[in-house]
Amino acid sequence: MTHIHASAIESPSDLLSDRPDLVWMSPRTSVFGWGEALRVGAGFGPGRFERAERAFSDWCALAEMQDDGVDAGPVAFSSFTFDDRSAGSVLLVPQYTVVRRDDRWQSISVDGATRESVASHSESVSTADRPRYAGASIPDVQWLESVAAAIDIIEEGGVEKVVLARDYALWSKTPFDPIRLLRRLEARFPDCFVFRVDGLVGASPELLVRRTGREVASQTLAGSAARSEDPIEDERLGKELLGSDKDLREHASAAASVGRVLGEICERLEREAEPSLLQLANVQHLATRFEGRLTHAMSALAVADRLHPTAAVGGTPTGTAIDLIRRLEHMDRGRYAGPVGWMDAEGDGEFAIALRCAELSGARARLFAGAGIVDGSLPEAELEETRIKLLAMQSAFD
Amino acid sequence: MTPDSTPRSDLDPWDQALFEALEGGDSLATLEQLAESVDVSLPLLEALVRGGLLIPKATEPDRFDSAETDALAAGLQLVDAGLPLAELMNLARDMDDAMRPIAARAVDVFATFVRDSVEATAESDIDAAARLVEAFRTMLPATSRLVGHHFRGLLLAEARARMTTER
Repeated sequence: MTHIHASAIESPSDLLSDRPDLVWMSPRTSVFGWGEALRVGAGFGPGRFERAERAFSDWCALAEMQDDGVDAGPVAFSSFTFDDRSAGSVLLVPQYTVVRRDDRWQSISVDGATRESVASHSESVSTADRPRYAGASIPDVQWLESVAAAIDIIEEGGVEKVVLARDYALWSKTPFDPIRLLRRLEARFPDCFVFRVDGLVGASPELLVRRTGREVASQTLAGSAARSEDPIEDERLGKELLGSDKDLREHASAAASVGRVLGEICERLEREAEPSLLQLANVQHLATRFEGRLTHAMSALAVADRLHPTAAVGGTPTGTAIDLIRRLEHMDRGRYAGPVGWMDAEGDGEFAIALRCAELSGARARLFAGAGIVDGSLPEAELEETRIKLLAMQSAFD
Repeated sequence: MTPDSTPRSDLDPWDQALFEALEGGDSLATLEQLAESVDVSLPLLEALVRGGLLIPKATEPDRFDSAETDALAAGLQLVDAGLPLAELMNLARDMDDAMRPIAARAVDVFATFVRDSVEATAESDIDAAARLVEAFRTMLPATSRLVGHHFRGLLLAEARARMTTER
């Protein structure tokens, strides 16, 4: 039988220096994990979220809990592919976990594991080399043509919105250090959800769902503009975004898809009447925040399952947009734009949409960026938007 | 943005001749013909036009000097050699921004020291027009060579410097 021991701990200093294998850092909650007590390959198809959740709850049900009077239990990290036909969706429970919820710190140990005993198996770190460009899944020209084809289909009425992504690869003479990358992302994007789950490292601004008891929250981001170092120009760009018909339509479509799903599962749902401006280090987005109360008990993972893929990363209508993405994107997104986050045994947790992220594999990394295509989009503007987004992630490697 | 290039109706005869010389090449192509001749997609060319990187003739906005094929072919060579289109277009926009004020100054210099001088010393309108067009036809390729040569020198110097510092 698995033994789980939870206890309250003092606020630890700089947990990243202990090189956690699993990381979630957000203004509200941080979770750090070392080692693997459970790994679940969630597989393919529409039942993958449910399979992962069942495997986690079965494992928890068979474990013996000792909690020293602390209200804490095991925590699972998970990351899902954007497309349920893609491989790579995974749920992981660390052997040793440190959790911060607001200002309370707790540790959860599986079978007597300590941070030191598990951290000793962490990866070695070599001197950092610079990132080097290693090509893309499809040439930019072909991607631009795909965007033009999508615009034609939108103008013919075949679809309202579709999000097309592209990638590029980096390589280095030495393995990329995920902890160094996390530190840089945390410093540059302190208001984002910074994560490391099974090779996927990133800093996402987009909250897919946060569940605390029956309360849920979500924040839709769609419609973007660059930022400027000149405050006057920056303000102008922000105002232009807030008044941009094309971006407002793109945003409305994304917010409607989240509102529709949350409306189906919430007995109470509130949303911002008008999109606000979310300003990040490199880019500013139109944002709409939702808060609601679930009608029935559902885990954070189950809500994420219902919401994914939102129109912010897929399109509208969802089915047609996904088919178009499969036809026009010419690459596998993997876990980019899929749900990534953590959940405890009670079903509370946070999931972000894995944006501004990279798949790390030793000395290679794959970076992603996407853009929402609607009527009125210009292929070259979407290409430039994705270039800026890719630069933001690449700058964390420099 | 490209400035309005419609000539004024009250141009002096020598300026009218110069304007016709500016319009240059008599072999004009549509965007579709250009796409076919360089074997590149129409959406790419349309993006270049919207970005001001491929400029139609002032008097025929849906026609392009077939000499544009050389520039397009050069751009495609860069892409084929591995430069991502997004980076190339970004460089092109920056270069466009940087060179516009220099181009405006060069035209000022031409107007002040060549055109005004020709106008002052020409024996007739016909003489002025001929001398002005001849000057233009000499100076345009010379300027192009000069700018190209200088940029090439800057590129090579920068590359050499980078190779001594970069790992």
